[in-house]
Amino acid sequence: MDTDGSSESPVNAKKGRSKTPKKAKDSVLKQKSPAEFFAENKNIAGFDNPGKSLYTTVRELVENSLDSAESISELPVIEVTIEEIGKSKFNSMIGLVDRERVDEALYDDFEPAKAREKRLAKEARNQEIQAKNAALGKKVKDPPATKGIKGRGEASFFRVTCKDNGRGMPHDDIPNMFGRVLSGTKYGLKQTRGKFGLGAKMALIWSKMSTGLPIEILSSMRGQSYISFCRLDIDIHRNIPHIHVHEKRDDKERWHGAEIQVVIEGNWTTYRSKILHYMRQMAVITPYAQFLFKFVSDATDKNVTIRFSRRTNIMPPVPLETKHHPSAVDLLLIKRLIADTSKQNLLQFLQHEFVNIGKPYAERLIGEMGPDFSQKMAVKSLTSQQIVRIHQLFRQAKFDDPSGNCLSPAGEYNLRLGIIKELHPDMVATYSGSPQVFEGHPFIVESGVSLGGKDVKQGLNIFRFANRIPLLFEQGADVVTRTALKRINYKINQTQDKIGVFVSIVSTKIPFKGTGKEYIGDDISEIATAVKVGGLQFPGLITFRASILPDKIIIISGYILFPEGFTILHSPKKLLYIPDATGAIYDVLREMAHQHASKRKRYEGEDAEILRKVSARLITKETLKEKLTQHVEQVDYEMGLEYATQSGVSEEPREAIYIQELEGAHDFIEFQSPAFVFRLFR
Amino acid sequence: MADKKKRRRADSDDDEYTDGHKTLPFKKRLKPDSVILSILSDLTDSIRNSDSANHKTLTLSDLDLSSTCREVSDLDLSSVQDVIEHLVLRITQSILSGSGFSFDVPARGNANQLYVPELDRIVLKDKTSLRPYSNVSTVRKTTVTTRILQLVHQLCIKKIHVTKRDLFYTDVKLFQDQTQSDAVLDDVSCILGCTRSSLNVVAAEKGVVVGRLIFSDNGDMIDCTKMGMGGKAIPPNIDRVGDMQSDALFILLVEKDAAYMRLAEDRFYNRFPCIIVTAKGQPDVATRLFLRKMKMELKLPVLALVDSDPYGLKILSVYGCGSKNMSYDSANLTTPDIKWLGIRPSDLDKYKIPEQCRLPMTEQDIKTGKDLLEEDFVKKNPGWVEELSLMVKTKQKAEIQALSSFGFQYLSEVYLPLKLQQKDWL
Repeated sequence: MDTDGSSESPVNAKKGRSKTPKKAKDSVLKQKSPAEFFAENKNIAGFDNPGKSLYTTVRELVENSLDSAESISELPVIEVTIEEIGKSKFNSMIGLVDRERVDEALYDDFEPAKAREKRLAKEARNQEIQAKNAALGKKVKDPPATKGIKGRGEASFFRVTCKDNGRGMPHDDIPNMFGRVLSGTKYGLKQTRGKFGLGAKMALIWSKMSTGLPIEILSSMRGQSYISFCRLDIDIHRNIPHIHVHEKRDDKERWHGAEIQVVIEGNWTTYRSKILHYMRQMAVITPYAQFLFKFVSDATDKNVTIRFSRRTNIMPPVPLETKHHPSAVDLLLIKRLIADTSKQNLLQFLQHEFVNIGKPYAERLIGEMGPDFSQKMAVKSLTSQQIVRIHQLFRQAKFDDPSGNCLSPAGEYNLRLGIIKELHPDMVATYSGSPQVFEGHPFIVESGVSLGGKDVKQGLNIFRFANRIPLLFEQGADVVTRTALKRINYKINQTQDKIGVFVSIVSTKIPFKGTGKEYIGDDISEIATAVKVGGLQFPGLITFRASILPDKIIIISGYILFPEGFTILHSPKKLLYIPDATGAIYDVLREMAHQHASKRKRYEGEDAEILRKVSARLITKETLKEKLTQHVEQVDYEMGLEYATQSGVSEEPREAIYIQELEGAHDFIEFQSPAFVFRLFR
Repeated sequence: MADKKKRRRADSDDDEYTDGHKTLPFKKRLKPDSVILSILSDLTDSIRNSDSANHKTLTLSDLDLSSTCREVSDLDLSSVQDVIEHLVLRITQSILSGSGFSFDVPARGNANQLYVPELDRIVLKDKTSLRPYSNVSTVRKTTVTTRILQLVHQLCIKKIHVTKRDLFYTDVKLFQDQTQSDAVLDDVSCILGCTRSSLNVVAAEKGVVVGRLIFSDNGDMIDCTKMGMGGKAIPPNIDRVGDMQSDALFILLVEKDAAYMRLAEDRFYNRFPCIIVTAKGQPDVATRLFLRKMKMELKLPVLALVDSDPYGLKILSVYGCGSKNMSYDSANLTTPDIKWLGIRPSDLDKYKIPEQCRLPMTEQDIKTGKDLLEEDFVKKNPGWVEELSLMVKTKQKAEIQALSSFGFQYLSEVYLPLKLQQKDWL
């Protein structure tokens, strides 16, 4: 027990003194359930305000669905519906009768008679001025939309439904999966979208806080003959589920997956664009999923239905659960591993509970630990001091970097496809880095750059993904934004160019900054370097861009240089003018040939030969076009190569290079070399 | 040619003014017109004598500069056609051999200009830049150049003239705006080594001429005293102008339309036989060609009436030494020995032009003035340097219209006669 009461905050203490002197309650030691903690600090999980809560709810449900479908290697089909619920409908849902206001002055939005008069007079005056302006033929600005006076009580409510075709949940586990905060199936060293077992529960806590309505879950697993239906809410104080209904129903359609429905307070107007952005970016990074997003409200003009259709059947592999890397463990973790392990002696423990420790290496490590340690000693008998020694050695010893095998990046193919599918850019280049390590956790950076496109705003558009979820908030501080701004910003034309930058980082542990899973700081040098080297190094692109800025050509050319090779993108601009140039030349030639033939003018030697060919249609406009096109392509290729050699790219390409075709034409020239093959698409 | 009736009326007008109670300032200093006329005759004679004494005009080859400087010459249509065809054949061969094509375009930038004091004009040095098709930054210009070449080739075959505007409209989509096709047209002149007029592309009429001049335009005889107030527009293609005759004593070059109109309406050319020319601001090619032709054929002194600001002097220099943009053709475009009659910075005080008619020079004006002081064509004339320094020092400028503060006709009645009488030109 705290006797001096210092745990009371000073403000409260002061307040207490001034109002009710010496009656401050003795502070009582209370215990808080995790659910309570998160209910009070819901901003940690991204439930800062009703709008953000709506966004986060959608996001958590969609990510759970994707994880679920991917875990059984099923191509995800996800339907998200947000249904706006009017106040009276909501009241009837919770069984509350609509009451008319009796004492008008009681309400916050009450307007006293005087204020009302004033307002009406002002409105009348405004109208008069407008009428006058209109009569004078002046351009009248739209009258400022009269803001609907919205009282505090006028919250809007939404029913969020998310249906997937994933694994579903075992019937008996459902209550605990939703009604207990910090319980989950995704703990462990594995690349997953969710991590903490918090998302769906937070949605439930928020619904309980704002509407008091329970969550409804429909779920069925493969091979089950029934559908589990469960309606539950959460006992926040005890962090246990409170089950209303839990029953089995017939599964007639042989459906598997989960459908979750929750009614929460939200704000569609202000978070509409965020939610749509989220869905769109999700579609970019998961082109193998099909999303159907619906917003339904009473006002039909506000309804939104967007389908993000599937573009590929190729899914990234399911991420594997991996063991800890010795340099990434701390004391607590070692103790826990010791407690959990089934291995008897130290040698086996080291060998099997960690990655990158083989038998010979484990023996060497034990030898290095000192005389107190032996290979055969029982692992459970290690003292605290001995564990500290192991930890120290782990810190100092050299281990191979963990391999990226356990990771499941979106893949260059999927990233490229997603960008093309959702943005329709004029040009796109993608890159996939090799696995890197940060504090013993492997990570892979993939990136893409696009130019032009549909529904892309001018300037730099940055799309960030972490473990294949889009990050929308806190953009300014993110490592990707900072790198991109530093690297790309200075030479693009902010009012003309539409540049998309896509960076996806996958890891067994994403080092998010701050409380929400919103951004990765740029102080982690390993990641910052990887982002820089891996993706956002486009000097070639910038040079090209700069050299053609004076013209108003939208389609542009360039090549994008990566450390492991480069992609040549042909200049549509150069090709664009070929008909004009060759047409003009050919016209003169034809005229000359005509004169030559009619003997009005004589040409000699080679010239006569050319003109004869023109007359005989051996040289046509097409011949010239073809030759010039070839030349342009050759020059582009040589320039790209020259640039690459200048920039010191001497290594042979290690990564596969994808050269995209924008319009699906299979018309290309191949340049073969012992090390690589270039295909130049026309 | 002189119309007696008209002249008499002008004279009587003059008398009325002198007798009137309202005398114009400095009017008293004017001697009778006959005195001024004799002064002018002396000037004309001296010009003619010096010309015949020093008949041979210098060329680049005389100065041993022909290898380092580039100059174009007038070519007839069939030679232009030949040159184009030759070029196109080279391009065709180049494309067919798979090496694309490029133009070797003489650079017309500032760095490639040279003022030759002996010639008193700007000439183009021999630096060229390669304009390959396969470079993203030059692909457009190269294409436009090819297209212009083709269009000019057509003109050669059809033997017709078109305006720059016409040319632009034949392929608006490619040329995008006229400045682009105009610039490339100059490039094409340089590449082909001929004057722009030989390409059969002309600019719209801009300059006008009035006064005691008779010439034939496309076979029609034109008497510039009988062209009314507006005068005769200077034909855009100089090759159809010929048979110049005149009894004028000098050519008066006027910067502005307003001053030109005043002089034309007052029939200044009848009181003092002269030819009045204006290009309404910066002179176009046709006006410069015309002025040169007059000067060469009639051997008359050229007196210039421009604003007293750096811009006026710049216009004067374009007539005299050529513009940088067209320096490749400066031999045909420049008129040597133009005298700066007015309005000169020193005139502001000399003629007591009231303060309210003078304008302060802007920063930009002062900068232009200082830049001009560095230019060779200004430096060669100590008188000009003095005047320009005065302008930059006093930071005042005045337009020709400033003289109207003494009455609209002050310019033609007093200022010009007085200037002529005092031989006040530089």
